[in-house]
Amino acid sequence: MTFKIAVFIKQVPDTDDIRWTEHNTIQREGLESVINPYDIGAIQLAKNVKFLLNDCEITAVSMGPMQAQESLKEALAMGCDNAFLLCDKKFAGSDTLATAYVLSQFINTHLNDFNLIICGYQAVDGDTAQTPSSLAQKLNIPQITNVTALKDVNNEYSIWFKETNSYNQQIKIQHPALISTTIKNAEILPDINSYIRANSTEVNVLSADAIMADTLKTGFAGSPTQVKKAFRPEIKRNTKLIEEENTDKIVDCILDIIKECKERDDD
Amino acid sequence: MTTKTLVYIESNNHVIERVSKEIISHVKHFFADSTVYGVIAGDEYSIEAVLPELKKLGLENVFVIQNPLLSTYNVCSYSNVIAQLISNISPDVFLMGATSNGRELAPRIASKLDIGLTADCTDLQLDIDEKLLATRPTYGGKMMATIISKTKPNFATVRQGAFKLRQIPMQQTEISYFNANLADVAGMLDKYEILKTEDKEQPEDWTNADVIVAGGLGLKSKENFELIYRLAELLDAKPAASRAAVELGWAPQSIQVGQTGNSVNPKLYIAFGISGALQHMIGITNAQKIIAVNIDKNAPIMNTADIAIPADAVEVINSMLSKLSD
Repeated sequence: MTFKIAVFIKQVPDTDDIRWTEHNTIQREGLESVINPYDIGAIQLAKNVKFLLNDCEITAVSMGPMQAQESLKEALAMGCDNAFLLCDKKFAGSDTLATAYVLSQFINTHLNDFNLIICGYQAVDGDTAQTPSSLAQKLNIPQITNVTALKDVNNEYSIWFKETNSYNQQIKIQHPALISTTIKNAEILPDINSYIRANSTEVNVLSADAIMADTLKTGFAGSPTQVKKAFRPEIKRNTKLIEEENTDKIVDCILDIIKECKERDDD
Repeated sequence: MTTKTLVYIESNNHVIERVSKEIISHVKHFFADSTVYGVIAGDEYSIEAVLPELKKLGLENVFVIQNPLLSTYNVCSYSNVIAQLISNISPDVFLMGATSNGRELAPRIASKLDIGLTADCTDLQLDIDEKLLATRPTYGGKMMATIISKTKPNFATVRQGAFKLRQIPMQQTEISYFNANLADVAGMLDKYEILKTEDKEQPEDWTNADVIVAGGLGLKSKENFELIYRLAELLDAKPAASRAAVELGWAPQSIQVGQTGNSVNPKLYIAFGISGALQHMIGITNAQKIIAVNIDKNAPIMNTADIAIPADAVEVINSMLSKLSD
């Protein structure tokens, strides 16, 4: 049996030039885009699994506009075996819950016999880290987040290194399972075979109908959260400018303020 | 109408996480007319260990989900039982700390209940319709977004250090044991085995020091950055660094201040050679007073600090050091 891995990738804007739509979501069309850096880490881990198993297939999947085909082509060139783009107007404006639903519908209809799902820890344009956990729940499978490396894998289970601020763990998990990795910007060495194959491999584009998605659960309609307001925060204090040539006087002034602050008791 | 707010109380190694207390303190202060409940999960031993502390959090009621299967935190088991409690008591608002565990636990609960979730909030308010307005930094701290949710409970995770710990009035806390159904949990736990755990040594909490002295790119070299440590020691203060200084390897990530680092709450924050990009300022909004020393008069921080001193940071630090060691 072929061991099947799905890697979910997101195309993210590679620019400081942020434009917002009338719905207060990011205007993605027309922006310079890259694969989310954590998702490249996910591709790397999938390749590590494939290296240890004889018969393994990596499927790269993305949800987004047609433009995201470019990122999937790139994923193919990095060594993924096939690619799917989940693209439908009815997916636009999906929050993490609606996104997890769409991704779970893809799995249920096209890759039901998967062994592993590997995701990046979070997308750098949203920084929420919610989609992997949300997806694992939708599929009712166990998950490990904050994964830094693969230790071992066979068809039934795999062993991973997990690292958080407070602990390091080695965890053995039964398949099917979901892994999300904090590896950022892995360096994937180009290999000529993948590159050539990428040029001749089509990205399969799937609509809401193709994955039998209930469109009341996708896009704006299916997203419970909404951006009410997006703004540049006002961080403003009544600044007092102290222009003083003499460094000694500056030092005295700072030391006075320190003394005053330390003596003040507050709540 | 009073709203019901439920706060997840995270405890690790028999210590309640500070962020859980910060959330309770914020809610108690700013959510008028809200009844505040807590929920904690664990086995008998781990619950017993924190029970005295639980009763001192100023909560009306703490729901305890206690079972031997919950002895170790696991995202599958914990999300399952907490979701059961939520379905049972129907809070209007549910809040959790955005710790490593919280960031994986919260979305799993939200997905199970099919409700919205807003991550890593730095501000929470209740509007007149008793809706949660959850504000969070996005795009690496370049933008702030206020998020609302159509589903109940309105659910958010909160960034550590975003809220101040305030004195809250003590009250009698009722402890209620919630009987969760663990039939599904047992099967889930069979698929997941922790082979080995190494706890990392936790650095002492320096983010609440009275005085913090921080250095940035304006210090120009790693050698100069070392002066920050000496100055901090002489002032009985704590050292900190900007993201740029950390990325250059001048300082460890553990002392980074800003959106991707720590939020700090000192009485006084002195920024030496820090330009004050938005992502940095997000981490020091709770500082009572900010002094900025920067040679560049046009650096953003010179308009956002309380006291702006246009001067060479290294020169000022060196003079301070020689004065203090006299």
